[in-house]
Amino acid sequence: MSYNKKDEDDAGVVKVDRTSVFQEARVFNVSPVSPRKCRILLTKIALLLFTGEKFPTNEATSLFFGISKLFQNKDASLRQMVYLVIKELANTAEDVIMVTSSIMKDTAAVGSDVVYRANAIRALCRIIDASTVQAIERNIKTAIVDKTPSVSSAALVSSYHLLPIARDIVKRWQSETQEAASSSKSSSGFSLGFGGGGHHLAAANTNYMTQYHAIGLLYQMRSHDRMALVKMVQQYSAQGVVKSPAARVMLVRLAAKLAEDDPSLRKPMMKLLDGWLQDKSEMVNFEAAKAICDMPDLTDAEIGQAIHTLQLFLTSPRAVTKFAAIRILHQFASFKPDAVRPCNQDIESLISNTNRSIATFAITTLLKTGNESSVDRLMKQIASFMSEITDEFKVTIVEAIRTLCLKFPSKQAGMLTFLSGILRDEGGYEFKRSVVESIFDLIKFVPDAKQEALAHLCEFIEDCEFTKLAVRILHLLGTEGPQTSQPTKYIRYIYNRVVLENAIVRAAAVTALAKFGVGQKDPEVKRSVGVLLRRCLDDTDDEVRDRAALNLRLMKEDDETAIKFVRNDSMFSLPVLEDQLAHYVAGGNAEAFANAFDFANVPVVTREQSLAEDRTKKLTTATPTLKAPSVGPKKPDQNSAAEAANNITVATQRYSQQLQAIPELSTYGAVLKSSPVVELTESETEYVITAVKHLFKEHLVLQYDIKNTLTDYMLADVSVLCTATSPDDEEVPLEEEFLIPVPLLKNEDQGTVYVSFARPADQLIAASFTNVLKFSLKEIDPSTGEPEESGYEDEYQVEDLELSGSDYVLPAFAGSFDNIWNGLAEGDEAEETLQLSNAKDISNAVDLLVKALGMQPLEGTEIALSTSTHALKLYGKSVGGGKVAGMVRMAYSAKSGVTVKIVIRSEEDGLAALVVGGVA
Amino acid sequence: MDFFRRMYDWLLSVFWATEMDVTMLGLQNAGKTSLLRVLAGGEFTIDSIPTVGFNMKRVKKGHVTLKCWDLGGQPRFRSMWERYCRGVSAMLFVIDSADVEAFPVAKEELHLLLEKPTMEGIPLLVLANKSDLPEHKNVEEVNEALDLDSIQNREVSIYGISVKRETNLDEVMKWMIKHAPK
Ligand SMILES: Nc1nc2c(ncn2[C@@H]2O[C@H](COP(=O)(O)OP(=O)(O)OP(=O)(O)O)[C@@H](O)[C@H]2O)c(=O)[nH]1
Ligand SMILES: [Mg+2]
Repeated sequence: MSYNKKDEDDAGVVKVDRTSVFQEARVFNVSPVSPRKCRILLTKIALLLFTGEKFPTNEATSLFFGISKLFQNKDASLRQMVYLVIKELANTAEDVIMVTSSIMKDTAAVGSDVVYRANAIRALCRIIDASTVQAIERNIKTAIVDKTPSVSSAALVSSYHLLPIARDIVKRWQSETQEAASSSKSSSGFSLGFGGGGHHLAAANTNYMTQYHAIGLLYQMRSHDRMALVKMVQQYSAQGVVKSPAARVMLVRLAAKLAEDDPSLRKPMMKLLDGWLQDKSEMVNFEAAKAICDMPDLTDAEIGQAIHTLQLFLTSPRAVTKFAAIRILHQFASFKPDAVRPCNQDIESLISNTNRSIATFAITTLLKTGNESSVDRLMKQIASFMSEITDEFKVTIVEAIRTLCLKFPSKQAGMLTFLSGILRDEGGYEFKRSVVESIFDLIKFVPDAKQEALAHLCEFIEDCEFTKLAVRILHLLGTEGPQTSQPTKYIRYIYNRVVLENAIVRAAAVTALAKFGVGQKDPEVKRSVGVLLRRCLDDTDDEVRDRAALNLRLMKEDDETAIKFVRNDSMFSLPVLEDQLAHYVAGGNAEAFANAFDFANVPVVTREQSLAEDRTKKLTTATPTLKAPSVGPKKPDQNSAAEAANNITVATQRYSQQLQAIPELSTYGAVLKSSPVVELTESETEYVITAVKHLFKEHLVLQYDIKNTLTDYMLADVSVLCTATSPDDEEVPLEEEFLIPVPLLKNEDQGTVYVSFARPADQLIAASFTNVLKFSLKEIDPSTGEPEESGYEDEYQVEDLELSGSDYVLPAFAGSFDNIWNGLAEGDEAEETLQLSNAKDISNAVDLLVKALGMQPLEGTEIALSTSTHALKLYGKSVGGGKVAGMVRMAYSAKSGVTVKIVIRSEEDGLAALVVGGVA
Repeated sequence: MDFFRRMYDWLLSVFWATEMDVTMLGLQNAGKTSLLRVLAGGEFTIDSIPTVGFNMKRVKKGHVTLKCWDLGGQPRFRSMWERYCRGVSAMLFVIDSADVEAFPVAKEELHLLLEKPTMEGIPLLVLANKSDLPEHKNVEEVNEALDLDSIQNREVSIYGISVKRETNLDEVMKWMIKHAPK
């Protein structure tokens, strides 16, 4: 028996191939039709289509035509099969429209034996064209409210698919759809009108899928009317109204989207989401918790309930529930570890769970929420089951450790041991890559780890099956190796690659090798590198030989020239380069490519600067961007401290191009620093004004961006009267040179006024500017749309603009804060203690201060681990190139809020006080 | 006795039962769908909607089952007529005999179709429909307008009918059955 069955199965599968099926299609044309034979053949076609086979258009068309001969057959299951296959062929075959009228008839068929009606409806919407939708309106409307769930669902889903081609008609079916959404038809299992009316399963696994489909359709119908959506969410969120958990999940998503799109809806929607946390279906609870955790700028009060719900699930007896809960917490812990910390005890009990997926997430979550002291213990725990989990989870763990390395540099030894250990394990490319990247980070950002990390990498390339990784490691050895105390150690490892590897690796090894020889002070080392390179001249590969020859030549040059070639320390600013390339490529038409991409516009930065940017990005990418892509591009998160520091560098580079383009300013030289955008008005005033301060070597340029939001007025001759005063009422040594006004600002238009001051190059000045917008106001004649001849002069005072110490400082990166800090002990120092009234907690204070002081947080101190005390370490360089460092200690108490003590040290005299003065 | 009767019917159905494919074509609004509906025993209606693609119905008469393919007459479907006419036993070309303005187009489409090699030899019955309307043209005039006399190598007939009044429909039925494959 079992043998027979197997035999049959095998035969069945073997026989189905596209060519033979296509030939068999003759049975469709045999008259009279044999329903049995046709059904078998249709099943084969369906099998092919569903398993990914594609019929070429001509074959699909001729099959489609053949199948259309089977219409109106008395055999109901044949009709069902016909529709199923037509639905699938509709995308490839031509002239599918021909079967419209025939199918239309079946969509209106009634009677208890009509099992194919749902299939007919679903097939119809795939072939119908926009002009015919009107003709089926009545059929579909009746079907939507049909008492058979399969028919109703088919009509709803079909309407959903028809929306893009016939929006106006489909929108007329709202009341039917609403009726379907509120009715509680239940369908059982998978018998969506399928397989004949014969078997009715016991209604044990009842679901209310129709409601899900109806609500989905309603949402699409109303998607342009936010108020209607709000009403709908509120109406259906009432308890017991919607029986389908899937539909409630959709409502959760909808509520979340509304909350995000419209800040004024956040509160009511959050309330609904909290309600769904109590829903009796776990799937709804999870969706709600996930939605809440995904909200931007969460307060502790908003997140509390969701975390609590997830915490309860952690102790569920079911593994899948635990898994879902810990996975959400794991994500969330990346950017709000404090909120997750209360669950630590429950998470702790999962770290040795036999389900390794749960255990992995538990540990990586604790790594994020825990303190420095628990790191070693957790790493030991992971090591114990590393071999039991899949590469994907291994990568999750490595990523967690990678961020940890940057956060707790003092733990580097343990982490490096761990990383080098797993580097020896079996694993695929992605896994190995993540480990290697983490070790790279240690080398770049944790100076103490460098020697040993390099040694581990050397060992790894001795036996590395991934060419890409070997090449990257060789490159790194080439840049880092020559600066170490024992460069010769690396030369041996690199040269081994030249002997043993494929051409790509050999070429990389030659380049790396050369970096030890070029500019080498030790003649012995230089000589041996020369010998090794000369051997490469006999290589079988062109590229390898060429590289060897080039580098041998360079070694003969004087060191300065040579070093420029092999150890160039400046590079393009990668974020700007990427941005410009993206714009260039997205230029659209062929003309955009007529001119070659111009590298002259890409600013060049030092390796140090680039590293600083890289590091901030690494720390912030631990903050997942969890937003659903449907929401559109996310607004840049201006609040995060690390981002702010990063943005300044990039912004300065961008502005510098714009300013270069203005003739009057083009002789000023490079912009030393552009400040962040300062708002001088509320965003809902008649004229919205923002300002940016650009510092040049001998000039200060204030850029005022002005938007006219009035609809019936134009502004002519727009300028800004800008008066500088010094904080101590002394005369300000800034001299206004000229002003570039805006001739005309139409309604809804934006324009820019520039005011230029001469500043003494060697003096750092603090000042306050009062700003008065001056213009002539012209009313627009509503009949012609033209402005009146004469306007009247008007003025509009906006907020003051401050020039302070931070405007002279750029963020910079350094490996060790303590070295810098101690090195500046002899320099200028200023200190101030104050209460930050506008900070609600420590981490908020960190964000505010990083922005206000304009420096780079070091050693992971932009993340506050404690809610009561914190030390923020900042580093930057002045526009003159001098070092500036800041140490900010803060304490929080419920009574007095956040109190900070700011100490700034600077190489240049007077700058420290100026920087402190900008905050005080 | 009864048994023999049934036996006889059964034998008849086995040896004589035939199924034949017939296509109905003609410009839009000629009355094809209405004709098929009435032939199949349905009611005539004025608010018949245009056919999108085709529409198929079986009509039984004695031992013959007619599979009637009623094709849409709008311009976008005319190129598809040929494909559906391949291998059929007979074609009916329906024309609104009261719509003189459409005669030239009808003539052109008809001849275009008949020229195709795959259409060779298929018997053609032209139906000048809507004879109930006062302004209708008679059979001779329609014959002339469609230039039926120029058609060679096939059997061509023309009847005047009214689907609305059900005039002459029996003759249409008889003509079709006469052309059933033996
Ligand atoms: N007065 C009259 N009207 C008729 C007669 N036959 C059909 N009609 C009308 O003519 C119109 C078109 O009929 P249909 O049968 O839909 O025409 P069709 O040839 O199928 O049209 P398409 O499907 O677009 O090719 C309808 O309003 C019918 O009521 C007839 O004998 N006399
Ligand atoms: Mg029709």
